[in-house]
Amino acid sequence: MSKANKQENKNTKAAMGMRSGGRRPRGMPVVKPKNFKGTMMKLWKYFSREKKLLLLLLLFVVITAGIGLSVPYLIGRAIDTISNESGIIDFNILGIIVVVILVGYLTTAIITFFQGWIMAGISQRIVKSLRTALFDKLQVLPISYFDSHAHGETMSRLANDIENVSTTISQSTIQLMSSGITIIGSFIMMLILSPLLTFASIITIPLVLLVTKVITKRTKVFFKEQQRKLGKLNGHIEETISGILVVKAFNREEEIIKEFDDVNKELRNVGINAQVWSGFIMPLMNVIKNIGFTAVAGVGGVLAVRDLITIGVIASFISYSKQFVRPLNDFASIFNTLQSAVAGAERVFEVLEEAEEPKDLPKAKDLKKCNGHVRFENVSFGYQSDIPVLRDISFDTNGKNSIALVGPTGAGKTTIVNLLARFYDVTKGRIMIDGLDIREYTRDSLRKTFGIVLQDTYLFADTIKENIRYGRLDASDEEIKEAAIMANAHSFIKHMSDGYETKLSERGSNLSEGQRQLIAIARAILSNPSILILDEATSNVDTRTELHIQEAMLKLMEDRTSFIIAHRLSTIRNADVIMVIDNGGIVESGDHESLINQRGIYYEMYNNQFENTRKVI
Amino acid sequence: MEYMNKYIKRYWKPFITAIFFLTIEAVSDLLQPTIMAKIVDVGVVNRDMEYVLHMGMIMLLVTAFGAVGAITRNIVSSNVSQKFGSELRSDLFRKIQTLSLDKINQFETASLITRLTNDVTQVQNFAHRMMRIFVKAPILCVGGLIMATILSPKMAIVLAIVVPIVALLIALNMKVGYPYYKKVQKSLDKVNGVLREYLEGIRVVKAFNRFFFETNRFENANQDYTDISMKALRLTAIFSPAITFVVNLGIIAVLWFGGISVDNGNLEVGKIIAFINYMTQILFSLMMISMVFNMFVRARASVERIGEVFKQKNDMVEKEFDCNIYKDIKGQVDFEEVYFSYKGYSSEPILKNINLSFLPGETIGIIGPTGSGKSSLVSLIPRFHDTSSGVVRVDDLDVKELNPKQLREKIAIVPQETKLFTGTILENIRWGNKNATLEEVESVAKIAQVHDFISSMTSGYNTVLGQGGVNLSGGQKQRVSIARALIKRPEILILDDSTSALDITTETKIRNDLKEYSKNLTCITIAQRITSVMGCDKVVVLEDGEVVGLGTHDKLIEECDIYKDIYHSQIGKEAM
Repeated sequence: MSKANKQENKNTKAAMGMRSGGRRPRGMPVVKPKNFKGTMMKLWKYFSREKKLLLLLLLFVVITAGIGLSVPYLIGRAIDTISNESGIIDFNILGIIVVVILVGYLTTAIITFFQGWIMAGISQRIVKSLRTALFDKLQVLPISYFDSHAHGETMSRLANDIENVSTTISQSTIQLMSSGITIIGSFIMMLILSPLLTFASIITIPLVLLVTKVITKRTKVFFKEQQRKLGKLNGHIEETISGILVVKAFNREEEIIKEFDDVNKELRNVGINAQVWSGFIMPLMNVIKNIGFTAVAGVGGVLAVRDLITIGVIASFISYSKQFVRPLNDFASIFNTLQSAVAGAERVFEVLEEAEEPKDLPKAKDLKKCNGHVRFENVSFGYQSDIPVLRDISFDTNGKNSIALVGPTGAGKTTIVNLLARFYDVTKGRIMIDGLDIREYTRDSLRKTFGIVLQDTYLFADTIKENIRYGRLDASDEEIKEAAIMANAHSFIKHMSDGYETKLSERGSNLSEGQRQLIAIARAILSNPSILILDEATSNVDTRTELHIQEAMLKLMEDRTSFIIAHRLSTIRNADVIMVIDNGGIVESGDHESLINQRGIYYEMYNNQFENTRKVI
Repeated sequence: MEYMNKYIKRYWKPFITAIFFLTIEAVSDLLQPTIMAKIVDVGVVNRDMEYVLHMGMIMLLVTAFGAVGAITRNIVSSNVSQKFGSELRSDLFRKIQTLSLDKINQFETASLITRLTNDVTQVQNFAHRMMRIFVKAPILCVGGLIMATILSPKMAIVLAIVVPIVALLIALNMKVGYPYYKKVQKSLDKVNGVLREYLEGIRVVKAFNRFFFETNRFENANQDYTDISMKALRLTAIFSPAITFVVNLGIIAVLWFGGISVDNGNLEVGKIIAFINYMTQILFSLMMISMVFNMFVRARASVERIGEVFKQKNDMVEKEFDCNIYKDIKGQVDFEEVYFSYKGYSSEPILKNINLSFLPGETIGIIGPTGSGKSSLVSLIPRFHDTSSGVVRVDDLDVKELNPKQLREKIAIVPQETKLFTGTILENIRWGNKNATLEEVESVAKIAQVHDFISSMTSGYNTVLGQGGVNLSGGQKQRVSIARALIKRPEILILDDSTSALDITTETKIRNDLKEYSKNLTCITIAQRITSVMGCDKVVVLEDGEVVGLGTHDKLIEECDIYKDIYHSQIGKEAM
């Protein structure tokens, strides 16, 4: 079963005390349409990097739009030539016009191709930098963010939402530009051709604006809600599929499916709403367009009757009014897709605007050649401000090599590790390393000082070798092997079909829990840290193997400070100092002998461990 | 693809309805240029205002008719596609829930999740667009061709040349684009994969300061994806302008030859305008068709990926039994010459020739080195996996013949890796028994030594846990997970190294309280700590998938070297 077990959710990250953020209110109220303009401005920041190319595109668009605008005029002229009252068609003029149109079309074709070419670059680069920005952001977010946000949701933002933005950018940018130019251009041409007809054709514009406004006001809300529901559903999927073993063990399939169906149904309903409403735009625009056309034809007819206008003019005018209305149509539908893209972008920016890990102080020092002198001064901490996990902790390693932390679950042992590695910052007091507050070191150099083996081992889907190499990227294969031998991992690695080149499957699930811990230990050994932290690092390793590792560990711990958290007292008995943590404070401290003599909590714990022994013997 | 039949069967009626309204929409679109041409040709040219107004009204009517068609079609198609999509997603989710763990391992959870999310959305969008333009485009195209031909058969020759060229271009577009599209999907999977790993390993990344390394990894995937998408977009960028250009050439030809025809008196001017209108419409529909093909290619990949999951047969066979046999299960477990290895991994068997017998009321401890097969051994009892050979029996019934669900009703397991779910603590514990009263929940929470902790929280049992129970510590989660198993009141209780995050004192308390609880049931404990198994009626020592020791503590300490080793490594000599 260990195999299936590993398939289980790795979201259950290392043991921690009460964490912040975990209790987000459920069933939040309906999303209010957020800041459309603001989000667009933020998006512009990414667009502005491509300013030059965008300008070139604009130039292209101006040219093609210009050609697009003159073609109906030329066609009108051609038709006028053909419908010459005299009945004699001047094929010279017609020829010239045809050639001009041909050149225009050819130019358009070539330019359009380049537009597509350039746009492909622009859109992909913008989306790429968005993706990079999001990923870089993840790098500087505090652990608490990851503890309180479902991975499926974050995934959904990086995949679905950015994809959404990408599609819209590549499809809509050129369209938006050319629509703008075409609208202005056709309007001017229409005015030149016939102010009266122009008036007849623009009476529909307020109608266009009204329809667009009414509809997009609704779709905006629906689209955002749709994305939100999608995120929720993805979170549920992620959780239940990765925890499928437990689902099966408890026969919970039915309930899980029911929950799934509920969210799924919510998504479906909001999806239907979004689509139905956005689907109103096109047909309504079509009606409006044709109302305009009829008006133009009617007025045009009247004018033609009075010989105020030629048929050619009417033909080209109709073309223009179509050109004038179509981009308006486009605008409406672009605006609609824009809504869904902006909803996506908003969710991306939400992550980008999360509070980051506090930056290094301006005068932060690099922690080099650390002596491993750790000192806690009146440290207090709580993941949530009102629930303290550590209360006024003070201790000093004072040249002692190995410090063991013991105590009941939830006492705050892992929290001490979290603070040391600056996964979280203290609420009160300070932690000193080599005489300086750890907040005065660069975080980078600080963490380089530590080698941490966590309770929950995480391995990547790569070869065993690369997983160990993660500890120190420039390590040679030989060094990797040495580290593995020290961690007692070498023997089982050797037996695997491809040895060190064995590729671990997703989440390292083709190894047992204990084997994974051994690799994680090898990884830490390889990183050769000044301070070693073992947080229940051997809890799933059998004790015989652990004995072997301990020999290696003892060697490893010789010249450095190490913190060991363990429940098995045999693991920590040889530590220089044993600190008993209970209820967020240090209640006893000393070496094994002195604590036993003290006959306090440690003594009791020690006896408890052997209580069974006595009974059996 | 066969799995689609079900949805086709269910939705063909509304689908046809949508198509019907779509046809109305298309016909109205088709009629509009003709009426327009009439208005100009007949009305304006003859200066017949009455005619202009009359035809104008007709045109508005046709448009309104079309608009009603379009709106109705959209309502129907939105409903159909969303319902279809959500049903497909739900069915797929159900299917995944019924897959055996072997199958799920083979697929890998990440891939299953993408199939459930992205792929289903792709298919759903395709269905919607299909109802929107798939039929409309051909109708418009063919209709345009017919109308144009009726208008002027002679000029239709132009179409006879233009259309095949465009068709060729579209075909070429697909041929060039498809392989690229597959590559794009693949590199997108890669990007998602890197991110997923990053999120799950975030603590390791931070602990080892590997930001730079991770950024590089992500950037590589990101760059690949960007490059391949750009390449695909650029390669296909030529086609759309080319198609437009070819059609535009046709328009020029129409103008020129139209002029000649008019000169000969064979054609009216208005018809040229109408003809050009139809050409534009045909162009438009051809572009749509090429778009539909592009979408089809995308959707096809997703349909196939979803189909792979649906294709999975349940490889767990079972015999039909009277329900009563499950009722009478007392909890005896026998292993007879059991061999086992995970499917798809051609390594040595994990378990070799296991012969064991556990009786109701017995407590059994299993101990052994890492990777010796302890968890695999117990996973055979609730039929998470089936043996490769040999038989596992529960009360003399071969579990391979039992219904896994009914069987699992009798078994409660606390897995090695604790997994809690979003919801309150109460809800999480009630997983074991949804009808449990609060008193019952509290009583098992007390056995699991977690009652005091839960009560100390402001919301108590109603405290909401984040995803995976992130706001509890490892030990707290383990204890909730124990309570969840206990409330089931099973015949067989399996604790798979489920106290590893607990301190000795707490564990001892749990063990003492469990004694009373487990009086009549078979209780199997896997542990690393020898103290956890020493008090058991029977201890099984496993090494390399084989039983190397079996008996009470006293017996093993005399006879079993490995057990002795383990004992000394943990307790030391002085405790003897």
